[in-house]
Amino acid sequence: MKLSNKLTPSSQVIARDVGQEIVLLDLASGTYFGLDPVGARIWQLMRSGKTLDEVCDAMMEEYEVPRETLEQDVQALARQLIEKQLAAAA
Amino acid sequence: MSGFVVQCARKQSLREGAPFRCNKLPDGTPWTQFYRLDGAYLLRFPGIADFEVSADGCSVVGIPIAGTSTDMLEHLYLNQVLPLCASKQGKLVYHASAVEVAGCAVAFVAESGRGKSTLAANLAVSGYCLLTDDGLVLEPDATGHRVIPSHPSIRLWQDSQDYLLPPDVKAAAPLHFTAKGRFLAGDGLGFCHEPRPLRCVYFLGDGSAQDIAVSRATAAETLLQLLRHSFLLDIEDKALIAGHFERTATLANTLPCFHLDYPRRYDDLGRLLKMIVTHASSEGGPA
Repeated sequence: MKLSNKLTPSSQVIARDVGQEIVLLDLASGTYFGLDPVGARIWQLMRSGKTLDEVCDAMMEEYEVPRETLEQDVQALARQLIEKQLAAAA
Repeated sequence: MSGFVVQCARKQSLREGAPFRCNKLPDGTPWTQFYRLDGAYLLRFPGIADFEVSADGCSVVGIPIAGTSTDMLEHLYLNQVLPLCASKQGKLVYHASAVEVAGCAVAFVAESGRGKSTLAANLAVSGYCLLTDDGLVLEPDATGHRVIPSHPSIRLWQDSQDYLLPPDVKAAAPLHFTAKGRFLAGDGLGFCHEPRPLRCVYFLGDGSAQDIAVSRATAAETLLQLLRHSFLLDIEDKALIAGHFERTATLANTLPCFHLDYPRRYDDLGRLLKMIVTHASSEGGPA
């Protein structure tokens, strides 16, 4: 997964804000996936069409975290979303 | 909610193809098989009865096999088929018991065997009337959601019967598929016949807690727990699933919900009852 990639949510996925978190429903498989507040923010930024690099830029302004750690976390979540077919890389 | 007609007993016909869903007993025996039937549904309880459910979930035809009692057929209809029909009609239905506390409903959500009936019976014999033993049906109203009372009965294992029930509680006819006893609400076991506003929900833990432990569930935890314990007739109906998800998310965003765990000791039930009544009255209510 490259930081220049964008992620596009699957058309079969419904996302719902619950508190500060997000729960995703994959209609294709009938499964659910929970995102904690940080994951939820990453998801929102990905959905807005930003590359993973741009997601990290935005997150750096909101959280006190080393850039390297943030990039690893964003890439790890992106890989998970792709593995679960909740999103596709573009 | 649903029209119910009973036909004469007959053999269960062989079906072509596998059911699109099958609920099994803990030992792996098929309990409910779900088939499609020209746009409608066939719910088969092997060796007991078939139920033909209309596409909209509003009418049901029960067809027992020879030897299935009327009590058994009615029990399956009320406790298994009707909650699934309600889900098809867009209602929110969960695996939960509920009782009335101070004019509101308090619900206990858990998988089978975690003590939601024992907890509800404990409260119901102590003056907090039963609203449902399982199949918690919710309807939205102006201020939130209200609990619709279900069949006025409760099923309990022998040890819970012995410990909890006063002698005047009336037993219903036994059901051959379970060792649980079934008891009808009455003088010793209060039942609330009117809908009550849902005040809060407790998700029951596995009993590993050393003492009574209660903590607030996040909205996301609430949503995932409620989805996991939902009655849904057609798990392949995407519109139904999406609507259920949206409605449950709305509920999760507004309803106070808690994790509750406690050692499963009958001697602690009195203390647990006091804690629940106090907690639900003070902590429950709109978030």
